[in-house]
Amino acid sequence: MKKSVSVSSIIMLVLGVLFLALGGYAIANRFMEVPIWTVNHEYLTNNFIYSSVGICCLIVGLLLFFFAIIRISKQSAEAKGAESTRHHMGMRASNAISNTAIHILLVIISVIWLIPFVCIVLQSFRVDPLCQVGYVIPKHWGFDNYVNLFVNKDEAGNVISSTLSTNGFLRWYLNTLIIALSCAVMQTIIQLCMSYTLSRFRFKMRKGLMQFMLILGMFPGMLSMIILYNVLKDLGLTSEHAVPGLILVYIASSGMGYYVSKGFFDTLPKSLDEAARIDGATRAQVLWKIILPLAKPIVIYTVLTGFMAPWGDYVFAQYISRSAPQGMNVAVGLYNWLSNDQINQCYTKFCAGGVVVAIPVAILFMCLQRYYVEGVTGGAVKG
Amino acid sequence: MYKKRLTPAIVKLVCAALALVVALFFFYKAVPLIVKSLDSSGETPGFMGSIMLGFNKLFYGDNVNAAATSDSIDYGVYIFASIVFLAVSLAFLVLGLNELKRTMSFNRMADASGIEIKKEKHKTVGDILKKIGSAIVNFFKAIGNEFKDIWQTFVHGDWKTKVSYLVMGFGCIARGQILRGLLFLVFEIVFIGYMVLWGANWISKLPLDMTKLSGATQEYSEVFDAYVTTYNDNTFKILLYGVLTIFFIIGFIYTWRVNVKQNKIAEGILKSGKKLKSGKDDLKSMVDDQFHKTLLALPLLGILVFTVMPIVFMILVAFTNYSGTNDGLNNLFTWVGLDNFNEMLSWKSADGARSYSATFGEILSWTLIWAFFATFTNYFLGMLVAIMINKKGIRLKKVWRTILVLTIAIPQFISLLYVGKMFAKNGIVNGFLMDMGWIKKAIDFWGDTKNNGLLARVLVIIINIWIGIPYLMLIATGILMNIPADLYESAKIDGASGWQQYSKITLPYMMFIMGPYLLTSFTGNMNNFNVIFLLTGGTPLNTAASSTGIAVGYTDLLITWLFKIATGSGNRYYQASVIGILVFVIIAIISLIVYSLLPSVKNEEDFQ
Amino acid sequence: MASVKLTNVQKIYDNNVVAVHDFNLEIKDKEFVVFVGPSGCGKSTTLRMIAGLEEISGGTVEIDGEVVNDLQPKDRNIAMVFQNYALYPHMTVFDNIAFSLRLKKVPEDVIFNKVTNAAEILGITEYLMRKPRALSGGQRQRVAIGRAMVRDSKVFLMDEPLSNLDAKLRNQMRAEIILLRQKLDTTFVYVTHDQTEAMTLGDRIVIMKDGYIMQVGTPTEVFERPANLFVAEFIGAPKMNIMHTELKKEGSDYYVTPFGAHIKVTGEKGELLEKQGINGGEIILGVRPEHIVLAKDGAEGSIPVTLEVNEMMGSELHLHVYTEDGTRIIVRVPTIDLSEEERSRLVNGAKLSITFAGKVMHFFDKETEKNLLY
Repeated sequence: MKKSVSVSSIIMLVLGVLFLALGGYAIANRFMEVPIWTVNHEYLTNNFIYSSVGICCLIVGLLLFFFAIIRISKQSAEAKGAESTRHHMGMRASNAISNTAIHILLVIISVIWLIPFVCIVLQSFRVDPLCQVGYVIPKHWGFDNYVNLFVNKDEAGNVISSTLSTNGFLRWYLNTLIIALSCAVMQTIIQLCMSYTLSRFRFKMRKGLMQFMLILGMFPGMLSMIILYNVLKDLGLTSEHAVPGLILVYIASSGMGYYVSKGFFDTLPKSLDEAARIDGATRAQVLWKIILPLAKPIVIYTVLTGFMAPWGDYVFAQYISRSAPQGMNVAVGLYNWLSNDQINQCYTKFCAGGVVVAIPVAILFMCLQRYYVEGVTGGAVKG
Repeated sequence: MYKKRLTPAIVKLVCAALALVVALFFFYKAVPLIVKSLDSSGETPGFMGSIMLGFNKLFYGDNVNAAATSDSIDYGVYIFASIVFLAVSLAFLVLGLNELKRTMSFNRMADASGIEIKKEKHKTVGDILKKIGSAIVNFFKAIGNEFKDIWQTFVHGDWKTKVSYLVMGFGCIARGQILRGLLFLVFEIVFIGYMVLWGANWISKLPLDMTKLSGATQEYSEVFDAYVTTYNDNTFKILLYGVLTIFFIIGFIYTWRVNVKQNKIAEGILKSGKKLKSGKDDLKSMVDDQFHKTLLALPLLGILVFTVMPIVFMILVAFTNYSGTNDGLNNLFTWVGLDNFNEMLSWKSADGARSYSATFGEILSWTLIWAFFATFTNYFLGMLVAIMINKKGIRLKKVWRTILVLTIAIPQFISLLYVGKMFAKNGIVNGFLMDMGWIKKAIDFWGDTKNNGLLARVLVIIINIWIGIPYLMLIATGILMNIPADLYESAKIDGASGWQQYSKITLPYMMFIMGPYLLTSFTGNMNNFNVIFLLTGGTPLNTAASSTGIAVGYTDLLITWLFKIATGSGNRYYQASVIGILVFVIIAIISLIVYSLLPSVKNEEDFQ
Repeated sequence: MASVKLTNVQKIYDNNVVAVHDFNLEIKDKEFVVFVGPSGCGKSTTLRMIAGLEEISGGTVEIDGEVVNDLQPKDRNIAMVFQNYALYPHMTVFDNIAFSLRLKKVPEDVIFNKVTNAAEILGITEYLMRKPRALSGGQRQRVAIGRAMVRDSKVFLMDEPLSNLDAKLRNQMRAEIILLRQKLDTTFVYVTHDQTEAMTLGDRIVIMKDGYIMQVGTPTEVFERPANLFVAEFIGAPKMNIMHTELKKEGSDYYVTPFGAHIKVTGEKGELLEKQGINGGEIILGVRPEHIVLAKDGAEGSIPVTLEVNEMMGSELHLHVYTEDGTRIIVRVPTIDLSEEERSRLVNGAKLSITFAGKVMHFFDKETEKNLLY
């Protein structure tokens, strides 16, 4: 079938060129201060909107141009008919162009996604000034911020104490580490118990239980915070002793997060259980000897998410620990550094603290990334 | 063969109309701003300018609400949004018309062909309500059956059973099941002891009648440098322990019922000549067929105490006036019935300030808009990125994915706080823009209150895209990789182009699988405390809404407002509870409606 | 006219693995050709090259006289039924079948007629509004066939369509495919690993192994005159018995001497041997199980064997026996011919004698494994 280059492709090409021209003109205008409309507005010539409109036109023009080229090459190749080499060239050429365009787009996306982290790392090395400024690359470099996280210095710059004893960053870090480790272990146990039971056993109230927990989840979690604080206060687990209190609360209500694990267990064939039971195993032994070894990915996923969560919990930790530094976790501490009264001395310290907190967690995550992905794609969507 | 319903096509056309309305709405908002910016110079307007002026005259007369200076950003956003919704409307229109044409010709042909046509069943909201209704009826029927059963067991049971009605566990012990019987007995003793010592006390005080509570004592408190009245009865504790006692009572009734049933079953077993389970058997079954009970015991207990009980408590609080001042220690609080709800939903305002319902409505509308945009932008863009990375011929797939996954690895707390500060007045973004000369003075992203803080709202949505896309990309990639390849091959043979393959196979398949996830994502975003709180803290400040007593901003969600009320001046916990309950009701209604519209959701057994 | 011609077709993968060597075949219009062979023999690959789903590394494929090497699958005017049905799960059966027609922008009423006609032929009219996951395997298969049917294409390709069905359903669907073929009257190219399907369905069978064509012929041809040992063993169930023995020429007569027996080659096979001028020597002898009969012990040309397993098939017995030197042989004995007394003799470990006639033998060269006669 002989087709010629279609009208729509030509229109796309023309539009693409037009947009490119418009965008280029707008950008050029920014530098040459020539008004585009007959309406002469001061702010139009040097305005943020002006050049951003220009950039948008450029991007749209580029995309249209690329697509038009692809379509035209495809269609002209088809029109040429059975000349094999030309046709393959046409196909391959258009494929290559669209792939290049996508690669460029991916590079742009990667850059945008990484910018904040690059900025935060750079800013953590800035030693002067300590407050927030409008530029990224420090003029004065140094490790001071990192050092100040861990030790306290006096006026002369001599080290007097570690922040552990003064309930500074190190204390918070340790607190959060303890909480995270406890949660990782205990939460996993509880969640696995829940999800395994709900997946494997069919008992009378099963569906009702799951629907009940679904409804429970619709309540905003904030509400429970107040009452739990009062209960913990009676038990003496607040302010300075917030850490055990937080651990208790996290663990106790972790059963609600069974959803992903249950989805995973649903994909393990029931015939495995049945074969083991015929062989004489009790259900407990089935869980311990057969299912758990197979559940390695989801166990790692649960441990990972359990570990990562306490590092970023601000609201609850702050509410329980109030303003007692011994009981704070890193989230509360770092947040306070950005409050209006402290930000001018502590901004760069915050950046350093952020890096120190983020790096171990990020490294752990990247190593176990495979399991996280398996957990998310397997359980979260199917289950 | 069924006749096709016209409903899907009509739904699409309705969506097209709605989108058109929204597009026109944005355009309507944009026009006065454009006109204003035209007016502020003095020159004669060009072509575009005169059209705008014409519209302005048409719709607003000469009455333009003159406010602040340059609204260029705002009308840019409005025009953009208007164009987007216009495109959406056109898409729905085309799809809807196509489907309508198809369905009508199908039905016409089906009629003419003489093939037997049956009516198609479909689910409606009515069905779900019927389900709920019958569930409630069944519940009451079950309770009725329970009572009947209890009566029958008593009448037909032997003496051991009859004694067990009073002394729990007696029947078990008398029949040789020592372990079980002892457990029941101990439980009963503990319960009776508790009720006598404390329980009855708490229950009696539950009505929280201030007049009946025990007398007050006056003490000099150094902290307040005044005489402080402390009451011997702490209403907070009364409420808390009273509720706990009620739970305990319910638990006891349930256990007593189990005890009665045990007797009946035991009699039945003995009558048929079999043996009863011994204590050792019981222990063994705890790790075997009753293993689920063993496993669930601890987690459910934790949930009961730390999740259910607080929620029940807070629901009750909504009917009191518990607050920072009436915290039960320094000042007692009492039941106020539905007063709080009246106050929250009232139209009239107190002392010239804004009424609560207006504030509530404003924040609610922003919450819904935010949840909608946050969910769907992440969904479509995440899918787009996943498809791009997954395309054949793209190199370094793992590199791209790893870079995006890095965003998930870094604790959200740090990313959000930092990015929020990046956009501050003296932050990096402003510094960069001023350096490039694109702006003359810093844009106050978080403080600009024009047009209901539009700038901050848009920015929050954009940053949320930055946070959310990697996660969606992971899920989308997982699904994409699982689409069977022969679907595409078959489509290739049928003659589908690349774009058609995407729109007719990839897109529908993904929506099919991810539909339920979208709903949970939507409701999750409605309660997405972290993003809003850490990014903006609710700024820019909404002075009108703040007149209700708590400083609230244009980017505040219902849940952040709730938090501010609870922790702000006065600590009005009762208001927080009311809002919490209303949020729950809204989410429940939305979930209900969407579940009834979705095709029948996944069947668990399919995967096993 | 919808003939398919493959000339010197080759498929070489990126790692220099050759999947299909030098494939030459001419398929006539309206012919039903079956590609059959064990897993990995290249039959599916060849089919996919005809369809356009695999790139052709060498040679040409012509459909209806036109070289289609560079044509997209949609332009080759073919239809394909996949092994896993490839039904779109989110569309109803009706929309699945109508998919390709809608892509071509066929008017809706034409689509309706075509789809309902196809559904009626296949017996799936009542499922038209259901989604694929509500259908059983057999019903899904029919939908897949329906989807291919409505395209009115020149060539109908089927890639192991019955492999996912249970045995009983498979038999049923086989008959339905034969009926379908009569109704549709187009060219069929069918791929399977099951020789029964190949024999019952095909006008001609192409037997492949490791990317090579072993033989092309009608079912009768490949059954009675297998070109080599592989074909002989592949076609026919239970498979042909293979014995290593000697062919002796005594005068103008030929004899074979398996396991001590002395059997003369009779009939036209003897004449062919004479015509080919074959002398004696070591050969591979093939005899089909149905051609072996029970003999009297010690009779002329009988082979003493021991019975290992006796399979009761209903109308016949399959006796698994082995000779003195351990060669295993299967014998098919119709039950109707056996007396009660004879049947009771056939137990494990029984000593029997078997023999076969002179005209049912197949001779294969010891080295090349080619059939000596054809």
